[in-house]
Amino acid sequence: MRPGADRPSCGPGQVPWPLVIELQHVTKLYPASPRPALDDVSTEIDKGEFVFLIGSSGSGKSTFLRLLLKEDDPTRGTVTVNGKTLNGMSKWQVPKLRRTMGCVFQDFRLLRNRTVAENVAFALEVINKPHRTIKRVVPEVLEMVGLDGKANRLPHELSGGEQQRVAIARAFVNRPLVLLADEPTGNLDPETSEGIMLLLERINRTGTTVIMATHDYHIVDSMRRRVIELNGGQITRDQSRGVYGVGR
Amino acid sequence: MRVNFVLSEVATGLRRNLTMTVAMILTTAISLGLMGTGLLIAGMISDMKEIYYDKVQVSIFLADDVTGDQRSAIESQLADSPEVASYLYESKEEAYERFRQQFSQQPELVDNTPRDALPESFRVELVNPERYEVIAAAFPNGENGVDQVRDEGDFLDRLFSLLNGARNATIAVAVVQALAALLLISNTIQLAAFNRRNETNIMRLVGASRWYTQLPFILEAALAGLIGAMLAVGGLVLTKVLFVDKTLAGPIKAGIIPPVDWSAIVTIAPVIAGAGVGLAAVAAYVTLRLYVRL
Repeated sequence: MRPGADRPSCGPGQVPWPLVIELQHVTKLYPASPRPALDDVSTEIDKGEFVFLIGSSGSGKSTFLRLLLKEDDPTRGTVTVNGKTLNGMSKWQVPKLRRTMGCVFQDFRLLRNRTVAENVAFALEVINKPHRTIKRVVPEVLEMVGLDGKANRLPHELSGGEQQRVAIARAFVNRPLVLLADEPTGNLDPETSEGIMLLLERINRTGTTVIMATHDYHIVDSMRRRVIELNGGQITRDQSRGVYGVGR
Repeated sequence: MRVNFVLSEVATGLRRNLTMTVAMILTTAISLGLMGTGLLIAGMISDMKEIYYDKVQVSIFLADDVTGDQRSAIESQLADSPEVASYLYESKEEAYERFRQQFSQQPELVDNTPRDALPESFRVELVNPERYEVIAAAFPNGENGVDQVRDEGDFLDRLFSLLNGARNATIAVAVVQALAALLLISNTIQLAAFNRRNETNIMRLVGASRWYTQLPFILEAALAGLIGAMLAVGGLVLTKVLFVDKTLAGPIKAGIIPPVDWSAIVTIAPVIAGAGVGLAAVAAYVTLRLYVRL
């Protein structure tokens, strides 16, 4: 169910955005469970889109994100990211794929013994970026997320919202094509969450596709972006400018 | 590859679980030390074989009441025999002199042995050492002034089977120790990977290459292997200086036991280091592949 008609259409004379993510009849079975985590899911996400992935716990949101990162392989169907089919991709190519994606989590996942700047730099160091580049882009991205002046703090000296900003800076510092956010506001109060959403929106405006799994209906309702709802592993709704719950 | 990054990760890893690191290094050191000892014994055995087998193969001991005629008859028979490559006569005095030298470390034994207790003998080297039976048949025991004919090769075979047994036992213990060392390395690497799971998870997600993620762990194990090897070589040096060169000085001087040369230790050291580093690295790599998701 891909409601092509009510998705943002291209203006006259504009080249259509290339697809960045495509799932075709994807089914994912886990050995421990008789019920599929994803059940014949097909969808497409364009470059530059902002997509909310909603659904109750166990509806398949996390599996969806894991398949995009090739943390798991689908049992059936094909997953394509940036024009590359992940199914047959060798283990040695996976790091290259992940360099085009950024990830943000509910629990921030910062390194406790490293400062804010070091946490962000870490993501570049381990993919062998030159020292000069790191020195230049880390302050830039920290300023963008609103943490300039806190570069030398340790994570525990920051508020939850600030920690999530560090995590977003780390995910975005390598300018990924896709940013995956798994309940990024799950641990934050509504006001702080709003700030995080503004930041994600800003990142989206740079052309980065943002896919955000969430339970936070306030956010979904106020942003009015594309909503993909999963239920029991199936897509039950795919709506551009959607809200969290029908009739809420 | 960012060398500084990898090295600092290695240092952090080793420091963080210091007790496991120490255990890993010690077991590796003991295992490699025993391996080195086994190799030294093996070298010693081959040196000893050269010393002994080449010298004497058959001894013909003469009876106490041997006459001069009998003695010269035996000697001419040996000189004429095509089986005999060379022979040497040893008088009672010479036998006693050699005995005194060999047992100079045990003066009581020497003092309690009368000067004429040792028989005179012919030491015979055969063209073919396997042909002992022919000589034994030519000089029947107890006849014509011959007390007995002894195949020294047979005695040497028994001596060397004893030494070979010692070498094999040492190597067997080394292998068991090596197994313990490998399991400890595997455990330490798993622990290190668990301690650093936040880092490695992030590395995985931001697309660090597998080598980049794994290398610090492998180097950590390899470094422990290298330190273990250095301790093992140190142990061998101490063994040579404190035990072989001091306690065994007498027999070595008398030519019974060949000395342990520095060159032997110098030859063995790189073998030990290579084995330590290689095995540790392989153990770490296999552990990462089998037990750790990186």
